[in-house]
Amino acid sequence: MTGKPYRSGAGRPAALSCALVFALMFTLALAPLQARAVTPEEMLSDPALESRARDLSKQLRCLVCQNQSIDDSDAELARDLRVEVRKQLAAGAADDEILATLRETYGDYVLLNPPVSPATYILWGAPVVILIGGAAIMLAGRRRDEDPPEETAGDPPTASSATASPATASSATASPAIDMRIGMALASLVMAASLGVYLVLGRADLPAQPLSERGAEIAAALKQKQAVAGTRDSALAAARAAAAETPNDVGAWLRLAMAAAASGDRETEMTALQQAETLTNGDPAIRAMRAEAMARAADGQVTVPARELVAEILAVNPAEPRALFLSGLAAYQDEDYAAAVTIWQRLQAASAPDAPWMPLLAENIADAARAGGIPLTEQTPPEAAPRGPSEADVAAAAEMTDEDRQAMIESMVDGLAARLAEDPSDAAGWQRLARAYEVLERPRDAQAALIGAADADADDLRAQLLALEQMVVGRLEAEFTDAASRLLDRARTLGPDHPETLYLGGHFARLEGDRETARRLWEALLSRLPEDAPIIPQLRAAIDSL
Amino acid sequence: MSRGGSRLSFLIPLVGFLVLAGFATLALFATLSGERDVTQLPSAMLGKPAPTTPLPDLINDGAAVSVADLRGVPFLVNVFASWCAPCRAEAPALALLAEDIRIMGIAYKDKPADSRRFLTQYGNPFVAVGVDRDGAAGMAWGVYGVPETFLVDADGTIVLRHAGPIDRRVLDEVIRPAIRDLQ
Repeated sequence: MTGKPYRSGAGRPAALSCALVFALMFTLALAPLQARAVTPEEMLSDPALESRARDLSKQLRCLVCQNQSIDDSDAELARDLRVEVRKQLAAGAADDEILATLRETYGDYVLLNPPVSPATYILWGAPVVILIGGAAIMLAGRRRDEDPPEETAGDPPTASSATASPATASSATASPAIDMRIGMALASLVMAASLGVYLVLGRADLPAQPLSERGAEIAAALKQKQAVAGTRDSALAAARAAAAETPNDVGAWLRLAMAAAASGDRETEMTALQQAETLTNGDPAIRAMRAEAMARAADGQVTVPARELVAEILAVNPAEPRALFLSGLAAYQDEDYAAAVTIWQRLQAASAPDAPWMPLLAENIADAARAGGIPLTEQTPPEAAPRGPSEADVAAAAEMTDEDRQAMIESMVDGLAARLAEDPSDAAGWQRLARAYEVLERPRDAQAALIGAADADADDLRAQLLALEQMVVGRLEAEFTDAASRLLDRARTLGPDHPETLYLGGHFARLEGDRETARRLWEALLSRLPEDAPIIPQLRAAIDSL
Repeated sequence: MSRGGSRLSFLIPLVGFLVLAGFATLALFATLSGERDVTQLPSAMLGKPAPTTPLPDLINDGAAVSVADLRGVPFLVNVFASWCAPCRAEAPALALLAEDIRIMGIAYKDKPADSRRFLTQYGNPFVAVGVDRDGAAGMAWGVYGVPETFLVDADGTIVLRHAGPIDRRVLDEVIRPAIRDLQ
């Protein structure tokens, strides 16, 4: 069959009428038009002007939704533009003038039908070119058909042509002609169907899908939402009453903050957190909750004030989990992915492996690493790292009264102290214990912990000096004489000429009554200090008093 | 017509299709690589004089501010609102920009009290803030959503428009180079 000429047939008129029927059908389907976004108060009283306004609105694009006309869109900007169109109409402007002024500020894009301009020649010209091109190709094929190539002229009659029906007997190639007709009909059908689909779904001035049909669905969702909101509101009212009744109970304020957060009352949440903060003298955990609430109020953005708060919290407690998380998030939002990964990994290391935020945290770290192209190394096992309080502990703390809270903290501190008694080599643990005792205002225990840290890190000059300094500042020398001489010996070995070693050596020598040594050490210190050191007058006075 | 020519003529539609598909593919890759941003609409205001209609002053009651007051050196105009979350996100970027260039704010469809609270909370990078209560000024600037930022040259002609928040990339790759080009 290949090489046999095609013959055009009667398929075309049939397909054409078919397309017409299609087009008509779809046009009729459009007849009942749906309600539009135009609201009654926007309408002009003059029906002629109003109908012009509607026509214009259908030609203008809503720049917010971009695929709706302003006639159709509920967007705020679309409403403004509708009002603007009507204002200009009432002032007597012509349709063209109105379109021109809007085009002036919003560009061609505001027109749903792009104007013919050099930039749109291809857009408008392409269909014509394709149509003409297609017709030319078909005509060329037909000419070939009427002027059969020589190789087919001498073909012997085939079986198919011998059994051809009488109607097509004049043609030696009946079945290709029918193929052609079917092909044409199919092509026309596809074109008609695309036209129909365009008219029904794609046309620029069509209304949106009717909202009313989804009404029942929306009403049900709304009802459920209201029920949930009702429960939340009553919980909020109860919490509010409880906080008002016991204004000195931190737990009540924290419960109020949580209830307010659940029902989206940000102002109450913030006030309650501030109350709790005042009552606890700026507890870092509660301040971190406030920073988190600030970020939540800004749709997850860690704002400048929130960042400042987070920095303050981390200065007091570098392991505060919420503050660490927010700090990482701030870095992430600054697109500083390396910092985000570092900070979040620090939080990961400081958290219990079963802390509720761990999955989210791991996801965030992976996300930041991907965004920043940072290779992730396997984390050290969490049990080797110092552990922060678990979410459950923090939540429990929020539920407690002041005394209970204190008791919980003390029991946690006692746990740490017991662990360190068993394994005194954990210098970082001792330092955390010292800080905890300072917060609990137990200076002697804090001092003992610092000495523990110095013993655990016997090669670290800094740790020795820190414990000794604290002893001098707290006037606890008399209670820790053994430890003092032990630490001082180590300091003398590690850094005999360190200014602080000299000063502290002199201080403890004077306490023991060894004035000569004290004088020698302090004078040595004096000779080492820069001339403008602010401590010099004091030091001289101390030497003179010996 | 030669036989070879007519045999190849069936290729014409195919070639036409391939050319169109080629353009579409280029556009697709430009979008995927971030070179072409489909959310950025073409702006008709570039190269046109900035609207100078005076607006009520947000900070000093009873006074008026106008873009005309800032002409002489290039400046930025930032259209914002307290109800707009991306405006909060771009606050740090505006604070950075304010060190180098004067910025005028237009509080778009916002209650003046809310705008003031917004500026107290997120910082005020503006040398002057005009109140656009009904969005008329926004319409004059061709604004279709806040935040939007315009760079205006010394003569008061708009040379750059950025719709959407200014993040670090926009700051370094769009706004700052444009400011440098003007200076």
